[in-house]
Amino acid sequence: MEIVVCIKPVPDAETRLRANPAGTALDGEGVKWALAGYDESAVEQALLLKEANPGSRVRAVSFGPAPRTEEVLRAALALGADGATFLEHPAEVVPDPLLAARAVAAHLGRATWDLVLVGKQAGDDEAGLFGGALAELVDAPSFGGVMALTYDASARRFTFRRSVEGGAEAAEVPGRAVLALQQAWNDPRTAKLPNILKSRRATIDKVAWATTAGALGPLGTPTTQSVGFRLPAPRSGAKMIDYRTPEEAAEKLVRLLQEEAKVFP
Amino acid sequence: MVDFSLTEEQTSLQEMARKFARSEMLPRAAECDKNSRFPEEVYRKAWELGLMNLNVPSDFGGSGLSLLDQVLIVEELARACAGMTTSILANCLALEPILIGASPEQKQRLLAPFCASFHLASFCLTEPAGGSDAGALTTRARRDGDAYVLDGEKCFITNAPHASLYTVFATVDPALRHRGITAFVVPRSAEGLSTGKDEDKMGHRASATSTVRFEGVRVPVDDRLGAEGDGFSIAMRTLDQTRTPIGAIALGIAQAALGYAGEYALQRHTFGKPIAEHQAIQLKIADMAQAVHASRLLVWHAAWLIDHGRKGTLESSIAKCFASDAAMRVADEAIQIFGGYGYMRDYPVEKLLRDAKLTQIYEGSNEIQRIVIAREQLKGAA
Repeated sequence: MEIVVCIKPVPDAETRLRANPAGTALDGEGVKWALAGYDESAVEQALLLKEANPGSRVRAVSFGPAPRTEEVLRAALALGADGATFLEHPAEVVPDPLLAARAVAAHLGRATWDLVLVGKQAGDDEAGLFGGALAELVDAPSFGGVMALTYDASARRFTFRRSVEGGAEAAEVPGRAVLALQQAWNDPRTAKLPNILKSRRATIDKVAWATTAGALGPLGTPTTQSVGFRLPAPRSGAKMIDYRTPEEAAEKLVRLLQEEAKVFP
Repeated sequence: MVDFSLTEEQTSLQEMARKFARSEMLPRAAECDKNSRFPEEVYRKAWELGLMNLNVPSDFGGSGLSLLDQVLIVEELARACAGMTTSILANCLALEPILIGASPEQKQRLLAPFCASFHLASFCLTEPAGGSDAGALTTRARRDGDAYVLDGEKCFITNAPHASLYTVFATVDPALRHRGITAFVVPRSAEGLSTGKDEDKMGHRASATSTVRFEGVRVPVDDRLGAEGDGFSIAMRTLDQTRTPIGAIALGIAQAALGYAGEYALQRHTFGKPIAEHQAIQLKIADMAQAVHASRLLVWHAAWLIDHGRKGTLESSIAKCFASDAAMRVADEAIQIFGGYGYMRDYPVEKLLRDAKLTQIYEGSNEIQRIVIAREQLKGAA
């Protein structure tokens, strides 16, 4: 089985964020990028499927700016992906989820694949558009919030669970599909040191922007556009309690909660 | 030209080690310290991820890292828990004599199991009556046909209660002093080998330490490393390799102390402002930062020299000695900044002081390091 897992670099949870001078987007300068959240779950699921289905291969694919995109592809290789494809995205082309879906769909049109896994949404903009758009473009069924995916080789069927309001839904889908993974249900593995070293030397297949652009034809107007980017205002209203002992702190806290915040009588 | 930038490969090793340290080691550090618990689950995971046996070449299935790569990893691990780091690194120390003194057949036979599955090894040099004076060791190795018979006792042996293999230094003739010392490998299953009680230590309490006794232990000639009398040189060359990572453990402790102290100083208020705004605290932080920074440069430089084929005896001794003395000072000041809280076991800084202390003592006490430094320095002056 040929499994394609689509990933995207997002700012590391510990990196400091700030807006660009125009206040329209994140300033990428000095940001540490990572493979994170839903995408990590997607890579883990791809590897679990590969391990359960000998002979399967996992290929990580990403469309985005260099060098951060190559970095997350290397992270996927270090985790155990067999190959990586970097679809170039020039800085002057406005980032857009639909464009990303079109670029990857154009690439998939030239590749063999049985299953595409994506994160349910990106860890940064949380747009959640890519998986559905890609499924539409490659004419494959699509589901979101997928967990515990298995493959029945004899019936050529994928079965999985989805968390839905108040419970879980069991579903199955025959043949090719685009499935968007729920976050943090599968305890993503840590890359092993020798694999990290190997991934640094591995070759990443690069698809030039000219190739992608040629397949896409006219780009049209981006479907989404970022008009403003602001960080949450620092929170105010915090009250520091002066205390000498934990008992005193608790007593003062309870009084404040009762009398000022009126959380309880 | 001097280039201090890390390669992308090194940055990813460092990040990986940091992630492991934070997710696996740090959450267990206080509990293992308190209960003197040997967290085998952490060591197994470290092995699985390739964080053990860092010095074993990839030909034998090890990670085969340069010393600079190793110290980057060790600093990250030691920031979370120096005791666990000592236990993780003990394999490097115990296997180094094999890398240095073993025949190709022995290397294949002895190293492969460590890379194929989780095993611990212990380096047995120190004896109850002699630590720094390694030439005076008394554990005897008497030749008997195609074997040696070992008798004696080693002490303060890291991981000894859990090890499956011991690299042992014994003398074929005490009168020969260091020229009689010979290196052997002895499996745990050898008859007559026993380990003592797990020592109750001041720090590094997540690491296990005990005596190892040899009572008529027969060791086949095939398990001798090098020739008779090569042992002293094998031991010294081993320590030349492992001294710098000890500096990196001390550096990790100091970095942790600096980190905790800075964080606390920004958050703790006295006289209406964070204590970080008081100059008394700023001066402490500045001194601590200098000590950490200088330690790191010394450790990196010593590792770089050794990676480039130099012996690095002077520089690795300076790095180990300086970084461990610095770790003591920095941990001490971190406690001072925390005030009364720093003295409490509920806060992480007093452990750092207890952990730092050992780095001044083990793998060559700082007095021995100073003797070495002076000797190397005066060589140049003559």
